[in-house]
This record gives sequence, C-alpha cells and structure tokens, in this order.
Amino acid sequence: MASIPKGSTVVLVGTRKGLYVFHSKDRRRWKLAGRFFEGIPVHNARYDPREGVAWAAVNSFTWGPLVHRSKTLTKWTRGKAGPAYSKKSGWSVAKIWNVVGGGPAAPGVLYAGVEPAGLFRSEDDGDSWELVEGLTSHATRPKWEPGNGGLCLHTILPDPKSAKRMVVGISAVAVFSTENGGDTWKTMNDGMTARWFPDHKPRDIGYCPHKLARDPEDPNTIYQQHHWGVFRWDDAKGRWLDVSRGLSSSFGFGLTVGSEGGSAYVVPLKSDGDRTTLGEMAVYRTRNRGRAWQRLRTGLPRPAHLTILREGVGSDGQDPVGVYVATEQGQVFSTRDGGDHWDVIADNLAPAMSVTASPYP
Amino acid sequence: MVVDIFLPAALREYARGASRVQASGRSLEHVLADLDRKFPGIRQRVLADTGQIREYVVVFVNGDQVTDGEPARVPVKDGDTVHIIPSVAGG
Repeated sequence: MASIPKGSTVVLVGTRKGLYVFHSKDRRRWKLAGRFFEGIPVHNARYDPREGVAWAAVNSFTWGPLVHRSKTLTKWTRGKAGPAYSKKSGWSVAKIWNVVGGGPAAPGVLYAGVEPAGLFRSEDDGDSWELVEGLTSHATRPKWEPGNGGLCLHTILPDPKSAKRMVVGISAVAVFSTENGGDTWKTMNDGMTARWFPDHKPRDIGYCPHKLARDPEDPNTIYQQHHWGVFRWDDAKGRWLDVSRGLSSSFGFGLTVGSEGGSAYVVPLKSDGDRTTLGEMAVYRTRNRGRAWQRLRTGLPRPAHLTILREGVGSDGQDPVGVYVATEQGQVFSTRDGGDHWDVIADNLAPAMSVTASPYP
Repeated sequence: MVVDIFLPAALREYARGASRVQASGRSLEHVLADLDRKFPGIRQRVLADTGQIREYVVVFVNGDQVTDGEPARVPVKDGDTVHIIPSVAGG
C-alpha cells in the first residue's frame, strides 16, 4: 500500500463497515489510501499531527471495542486492551464513541468516551485504560438514561491551556465540566432547552447535547448542537445562549469549528422524527459566534434527503479552513475555501458515522 | 488441566496465527485467564467486562455449547477441547 506523502491533508471517514482514509496535497484531488477494519463499525478516527499518530475507535459487533493506532495511516496496530468497566460495576463497554488526544496541555494522554457513558484515560497510547471515576460516580449517574443513539459519551474537549480542565457531552444526559483533572464534575446546563420536560424548571440531567466543539481561539467559548437548538457557551454569564436564529432547523447532530475564532459550521436536519436534510444539502456557517448564519450550498446536491450523524462534520484546522461532511448515505463533501464552494470527495461509501481531517505534516 | 483451544480466524492474530493453542485451568474462567497470560488481550475479546461470555460469542466445550454465561461455573479437565466461535448474527 502506497504511503501518504508528507505535506498532505488527510481525511478519516469512520463508517459502519470500516475506516476509509483519503489524502490530498491540494485538497482538490483526493486519493483513497485504503479501507481498514473491513466490515467493522468505526465510530471515530482522527489523526493528531501534534502527536504524530492516529487513533481509531473500532467496535466489533462480536469481539467488542478496541482502539487501534497508526503513525502512517496505512498500517494499524491494535491496543493491547480496550477500556473496560470493573466487573462489580455491572456495566460493559459496548462501544467507543470518541478518541481524543489530551492536546497541548496534556501531551501523551489519550481519552476515550464510551457507551454506556464513561470516560477513560490512557497514558500508553491505548494499550491500557483507566476509568475517570469522578464522572461515573457523579451523583446523577443512577438517573442517566440512553437516548435513541444510546447512552454515549460522545464529545471530549480537553482544555488546550490546562490539563485540569475538560468538558464532555453525554447524549440525553448533560454537559459536564471538570476543573481538577476529572476528580469532580459539575453540569453545564444553564440556558439549555429540553422540551420534553413538563415545565421550564432547570434540571440537573435530561438534556440532549448532540455535539460540542471548542472555539479555536477562545477555549472558553464552546458551541453546541443540541436536540433543540444550537447554543454557545457564554463563560462570563455561565450559561448557554441560543444562537439558532437564522438556521433552517434547530435540530441536527454534527458541528465543527473553523480555523478563525467565532466560526462554526452545522448541518440542520428536519426534526427528530425525520433526521434528514431539509430537501437540499446545505451547510450553515457563522463567523460571528452564532449571531448570524450563512447558508452554503454551492456544489451541494438538491434535492437531497441525507442524514449526517453526530461525528459527521469535521474541519482540518488550516487556512482557509477545509470542512468535511460525511453522510449516512455514504457521501463525503468537502470545501477548501471555508464553505463557499463544495466538492464530493467520495460517493457510495458504507454508511458514514464520522469524519475528521487534519494536516499530515 | 491442559485443554486444547480452537481459535476463530478473527482471534488468531493474538496467537501469532495459530488456530489451535493450549491453556491450563480447572474452569473455563481459569483457562481464559491462562490464555490471556500467553496472548494478552484475548480474554477481553471473549468475555464482556462483567466476566460473562460476550453476547455474540459462542463457546463449546467438547462439542457442547456453553449455555451458562459465567465461565467460572464451567469445569474443564485434561484433554478437553474448547472452541471459540463468533455466533451467526449481524448483517
């Protein structure tokens, strides 16, 4: 298998039937480096250029979940053991939803978010894992219930400036934050909406964050695609602000940020009963922290009733930013000019669950 | 108690490609623990975190399917054969 040239951009597409790795020198012409873990669901995979390694959350229906790693993206090594709960807990890790490096404040650290919801930490690149017990022992844990996608810890946001600080999202439960390295956690729900509650009284859990992303310039600003709205965390006020105005629908799953502060991308979907694009494939972009949204659809198909899942929108961190959208129907759309124009990297892949992208320096 | 274990294709990479290996113990739990000492990580592919046989894994001892999910309650003796098989499921 040919190696990926240095200086490329790589796109990792996790699907229900394996992982596809694409690469390009100009982000215009893409080559498939290979398909890996054939037939096995890969919920998330990402290359971390700072660490020089990629990780893949490989969730075998039969043999259980494992994190695999690769420096070349063409040859993968399985971890010696997957994250596991204690026998006495009565839980068993069914899927790994997300694998994320610790970032600049915690080099050499790897985190995995799993189902049933929990956070695991590895300091040996995924060969062994330790449960972050402070989260699983949160007082609300006995009341956590799965949503339609399962009881999954799907987003892990390490703080780039402090190894002690982190935010995680658990579907149908809440957003949680820690400021002491995971020993204790508090919910971050103020301002969020949960229309299934019978009244507007704030609750500790029962919210439904679908995806979170941290602003690239201001780590205290976090964007959230929620079940009912897109929100921005206002750290000064300590609450979420609804920034859904201007979107074709407040419902959706995927979310990513651009390379410039204040920029974010979402793909609205039609309601939780339909979960498809609203007749056309359109991406919405904000460049002012959600105050206004632009509908982007040049090069995107219409009519289109596509489903984009919670890991289905990613960006490559370059300037101008490349944004990538992978669909459950097997397409991967990309832009290399921040969203003004879109192309198709691939069509007719297996159903996509995730897409990530980064430089391959 | 030494038993012969037949591995499915998906798990042979743990055993450097071998389809048949040996492990010791007086119960299936002990045998899998010994197997894991020889081939680290393989036990977790067969057993869930709860210690029970994974939902879509089937284990046979001397040709009889293990129906008790608790491997500690499955005795084995010298010369027994253990087959580990992915169940016929999925799509």
